[in-house]
Amino acid sequence: MSETSAFIIIVAAIFTNNILLSNFLGMCSFLVCSRQIGTALGLGAAVIFVMTCTTVLNYGIYYGVLVKDAPLCSADLTFLAFIIFIAVIAAFVQFVEMFVERFSPKLYYALGIFLPLITVNCAILGAALFMIIRKYSFWQSLGYGFGAGVGWALAILLIAGLRKKMGYSRVPKPFQGVSIAMIITGVMAMTFMGFAGMVSIQ
Amino acid sequence: MKLLERLLDRTRGAFAEGKRLHRTKPVFDAAENFFFAPISRAKSAPFVHDPLDIKRLMSMVIIAILPALACAVYFFGLHVLAMVVVSYAAGGIVEVLFAVVRKEEINEGFLVTGMLFPLILPPALPLWMVAVGVMFGVLVGKELFGGTGRNLFNPALVGRVFLALAYPAAMAGNWISPVAEPPGRILQYVSSGAVDAIAGATPLAAAKQGQLAGLQEMFLGNVAGSAGETSALAILLGGILLIMTRVASWRIVVGVLGSFLLMETVLHYTLPGPIPPPMWQLLAGGILFGAFFMATDPVTSPATTGGKWAYAIIIGLATALIRHLTGYVEGVMFAILLGNICAPLLDEVAVAVRLRRLAHES
Repeated sequence: MSETSAFIIIVAAIFTNNILLSNFLGMCSFLVCSRQIGTALGLGAAVIFVMTCTTVLNYGIYYGVLVKDAPLCSADLTFLAFIIFIAVIAAFVQFVEMFVERFSPKLYYALGIFLPLITVNCAILGAALFMIIRKYSFWQSLGYGFGAGVGWALAILLIAGLRKKMGYSRVPKPFQGVSIAMIITGVMAMTFMGFAGMVSIQ
Repeated sequence: MKLLERLLDRTRGAFAEGKRLHRTKPVFDAAENFFFAPISRAKSAPFVHDPLDIKRLMSMVIIAILPALACAVYFFGLHVLAMVVVSYAAGGIVEVLFAVVRKEEINEGFLVTGMLFPLILPPALPLWMVAVGVMFGVLVGKELFGGTGRNLFNPALVGRVFLALAYPAAMAGNWISPVAEPPGRILQYVSSGAVDAIAGATPLAAAKQGQLAGLQEMFLGNVAGSAGETSALAILLGGILLIMTRVASWRIVVGVLGSFLLMETVLHYTLPGPIPPPMWQLLAGGILFGAFFMATDPVTSPATTGGKWAYAIIIGLATALIRHLTGYVEGVMFAILLGNICAPLLDEVAVAVRLRRLAHES
């Protein structure tokens, strides 16, 4: 178990180990939904919320049920981790969607397609798996889930701003659309390399 | 001059529509515009009458860089000039290709990039690396976004960061120790093959080993470092010219240097281990050069006043943090590129805040 404090993990997950810019997880919705700042903000907020909650849920299930000699089940079920995590994420997103639709239709329509989209955002599953690989404690997992979500939201907000400014650009035909967005992502990743080593979490 | 004019007039016909050399017309236009005012008239809006057009703006920046370039040649030798030539030639190829394909004029903006780029490199860097770096910077940092005025990132910095990540060993070595007594190294040519004999450590790298360079030497430029950043005096001369002519925004310069000094003061008293005092940090490394010449690029910095302050503060803080908390010795290039990335979003926030305030007042 690593000794890093939860606060350091939050900072590291945002800047030095940004889940999008250093691990390149969650690229699909990042590239598709970053054309407008408003949508980027909505999706970013949703990702922060879902990532924080599912990381904690998955932590509880993994150490409560799946590992060998867990409190609730003594058999070693860790080989089920992938499928359980995916199921938990999908179920949680469904639950949140129904909840939001029932209690705040306005927010539901504002988020629109983004909530279901989060189900297939690999950054969410990635955060849960990193939590296992790096052997985080409960508070560290909470910090990592929240930090990784904030880092992802920050990245999509920044690229949404850049793409809006690009309304004035004349990109050569073969590079229009997703390809120029990937080039911008590359430059952003090069820049975030500057933070490497500031605080390190593996 | 008369002779040149007659030559240009006579050859103009060969570049006319339908003629054999028409495809290379941008080259002709560039050559003509460099010496004379263009003969074409503005046909579309905006019809602005202003003595400060993009050409004057870029020429002013080049004049402002000249003192720093002179210092670089004096302290580090003629290899610096070779780097400038290679940078212009290699970047120029990319620029001309795009201008020909787009059927546009070659823009003066490249003259600035091609000059700034070698000045932020180690002075004994192999010339082929200079060529690779400037081509990457111009291609990815500028031309893919539509050329001068439409780029999102500072092309020189994109090239510099690319080199720093791709060839870390070469970019961390190749420092030449300067010679202060006249005539300096002005008659020498120190390439990367010969640098070992006279290699010097930069002040920031030496400080990590506990050796502090003298303030006066750093102010005059008698220290190892990137070609253009060596002399604080020369940078200040050019920088003040830029601010007086309003080419550079004073808000950005003040914001970057102010927040940098503040953060250095905080780190000086909180971090364990000896950290040189803030004023020393200001003169060491590339913070002055970056603040005056790179961060103030009007294209890649925010347009709103509030955005400019926030942008400058991000750069200043990030520079200090990267210097002391990461493995990198100097963080200015990463910090300014980070500022470029944040710039559009900061503008959006500044405009939104302003709109809300206006709605509140009415």
